[in-house]
Amino acid sequence: MKKILEVENVSKSFSGICVLHNVSLSLNAGEVICLAGENGAGKSTLIKILSGAQPPDSGKMKIFDQVYEKLSPAQAMELGIATIYQDADLVDSLTVSDNIFLGHELLRDGAFVNKKEQEKRTAVLLKQLGINLDPAMLVERLSPGQKQNLQVAKALHGEAKILIMDEPTASLGEEETASLMELVERLKNQGIGIIYISHFLEEIFQLGDRAYVLKDGEMVKELFLKDSNQDELIQAMVGRAASNFYQKNCFASGDQALQVSHYSGNGFVEDVSFTVSRGEVFGLGGLVGAGRTELVRMIYGADRSEAGKLILDGRDITPKNPTEAVCKGVFLVSEDRKKEGMFIIRSVKENLLISKNEKNFFLSLNKENREADESIRTLGIKVFNREQEVGNLSGGNQQKVVIARWLLENGDVYIFDEPTKGVDVGAREEIYKLIEHLAEQKKIIIMVSSNMPELISMSDRIGIMREGKLVNVMEAKNATEDILIKEYIGVKENGS
Amino acid sequence: MKDRNGWKYRILSQQWLILLFIILLISVFTAIRNPRFLMINNIMNIFEQIAVLGLVAAGATILIISGNFDISVGAVIGLSSCLMAMMINAGIPIPLAACAGILVSMFCTFLNGVLSIIFKAPSFIISLATTSVYTGAALYLTKGVIRTVYGKFDAMNRFRLFGVVPLIFIISLLGCVVVGIILKYTQIGRRIFAIGSNERAAFLSGIKVTKNKLIFFAMNGFFVGLAAVLLLSRVGSALPSTGSGYELQAMGAVVIGGAPINGGKGNIIGTFFGVLLMGLISNVLNILGVNSYLQEIASGALIIISLGISAVRVHMLQKN
Repeated sequence: MKKILEVENVSKSFSGICVLHNVSLSLNAGEVICLAGENGAGKSTLIKILSGAQPPDSGKMKIFDQVYEKLSPAQAMELGIATIYQDADLVDSLTVSDNIFLGHELLRDGAFVNKKEQEKRTAVLLKQLGINLDPAMLVERLSPGQKQNLQVAKALHGEAKILIMDEPTASLGEEETASLMELVERLKNQGIGIIYISHFLEEIFQLGDRAYVLKDGEMVKELFLKDSNQDELIQAMVGRAASNFYQKNCFASGDQALQVSHYSGNGFVEDVSFTVSRGEVFGLGGLVGAGRTELVRMIYGADRSEAGKLILDGRDITPKNPTEAVCKGVFLVSEDRKKEGMFIIRSVKENLLISKNEKNFFLSLNKENREADESIRTLGIKVFNREQEVGNLSGGNQQKVVIARWLLENGDVYIFDEPTKGVDVGAREEIYKLIEHLAEQKKIIIMVSSNMPELISMSDRIGIMREGKLVNVMEAKNATEDILIKEYIGVKENGS
Repeated sequence: MKDRNGWKYRILSQQWLILLFIILLISVFTAIRNPRFLMINNIMNIFEQIAVLGLVAAGATILIISGNFDISVGAVIGLSSCLMAMMINAGIPIPLAACAGILVSMFCTFLNGVLSIIFKAPSFIISLATTSVYTGAALYLTKGVIRTVYGKFDAMNRFRLFGVVPLIFIISLLGCVVVGIILKYTQIGRRIFAIGSNERAAFLSGIKVTKNKLIFFAMNGFFVGLAAVLLLSRVGSALPSTGSGYELQAMGAVVIGGAPINGGKGNIIGTFFGVLLMGLISNVLNILGVNSYLQEIASGALIIISLGISAVRVHMLQKN
């Protein structure tokens, strides 16, 4: 196999803080290498250097036997290095083919875009890649998975030879992930070198040939994935043995205190009922689009329901809106931190106390500062000080801030929608501890999760949703990933 | 990583310090050219001139931080001051007329809020439409004739605290202080920032977004109404077009004061210095005897220069 990319001793600092230190790696044609490491380990910086977005302070890059000290974005593209970021980099208001030809449109009579020809060539390209998309479709109508596929197609149209994929599956469901992975597999067989970044260890092992582990800006380990296992990888990433499976204690009291009764509405949720006991974590599993988020938003009063009652200790507490929910001690941590959870340009302090401050007209700044500092300390939120903008924190710390907002209130029901989305392995465990601690205090917890190890290890019972209905509830200790995925899709077990 | 406690960071993170610096620079330059600039009388003159704009800008600060706009405030001032003038002429006691004027103003801005929420339209566009509604209403009521209250309502304008400081400036300053307290020390203030920075997150954290937005619009109306009272007392007459131009000047002052146009950030000190800078510029151009046509150009240019300096500030802040 031919070496197409070699990075030698690349270092980079920002304002005197070293984020990459003497990092080296190599990539062969037709190979998938994975970059692993916690958030802030330096993965993004390395990608930015390779894609030309930032110059390194020192070190060399050897690309197709040519040595470069730094690249410009245009140069990187010309060399065939394409980067696909997790937030798809497409123009929503244009069609699939327009996006593929964006910037170098095919022209007719020297001025007009030749739409027909573009669409024809796009169809050919998509067919070669085995991507099933209509070239004339508007991008805004594509699902997140289709957008990722389109980005890959766009990169390959630009004759990419080195493809960098930064958490491509972060916002995809099981099926879409599977189809993207197939695509990656095909590209690899066509001789394209791929640098793949993912928080999902399963994907790394399924796709990757080798993994490079970054920790605090240093390349700490190179693993041949065939001869390795998840434990070894995690160990290298966090520098300690942390299992993907968290060992949660059971605090369920079995009193069935909360009744979620006959919820319907919000598009397609249909007559969902279940009960949760104090101290219990009730997990909700299912494919993306099974109606889990829609269900919990109705329970919280964020979306209107057609029918459904929330009953706590025999009392009807059905909230009409989030304000009422908060008053009655029902809290929701939304799945989309950026859009629905945080006030990105406001301080950590304000983000922590926004709900608590609803109680008094005049605020005591001293008390506020004390409470903010207390939260920051007890949860170990990493900040310069309480006035720092929450948008500058890492994903894990942002999530802790959002959760801490509800810990400051004294409620009964905590709903978590994808509590560890975009959170690195180390911080993930701390969030599990927070949830476990709530269970220990006999709170009622409902947790939506698409991460199966998380769902199995954190839940006491798991409810499975499919196409808007709650189709099964099982004890978490009886669940395996195998059983769950079959339940998600609706495959019946035959005998055995 | 940034050194967040260094003096450089602190200075750069405060837009008003930059404005103060610009104000001092202009003042020193003008004082050297024409020492008359520094006379108490002239300084008080500036204060008197910025009183009305100060109140309008104080209200605009609340709205802009919350992510909303109201460009009908100029028309609202016109309508409200015409009504007050007509009421005073009809023999209604002045305090009553002033209260009525403020209420009318609050109603008008509240209506902007209601319409923008019902029709899910940006408040900018809704208030563009209501601008002509309010101006039209004022024209209809006054039949387009100027309404004068000379000698009936100028006591407030003439009053000088300690014989020096104009009362209307004090009122304006108090308005700014009230907005400052609301923004920093009250629950409403936190909601203003929260809704301006992320409406959906505000909703999910238990804030009643619609109700609060209406409160913000009404609060803006209060300050605009108060500004109309000051303006009527100062000018002594009212026309439907009396307040036009204030809406843009006020928004300009808020943005010069450091609030981004899409909300979520900002403070009243910045706005105040923004207003002061604008008042200062027009005064200085007069004092220096700049040709009145060229004054228009110069005042626009000076505002652009101030914005340029703050852009440099933001750039340095990010680099630091």
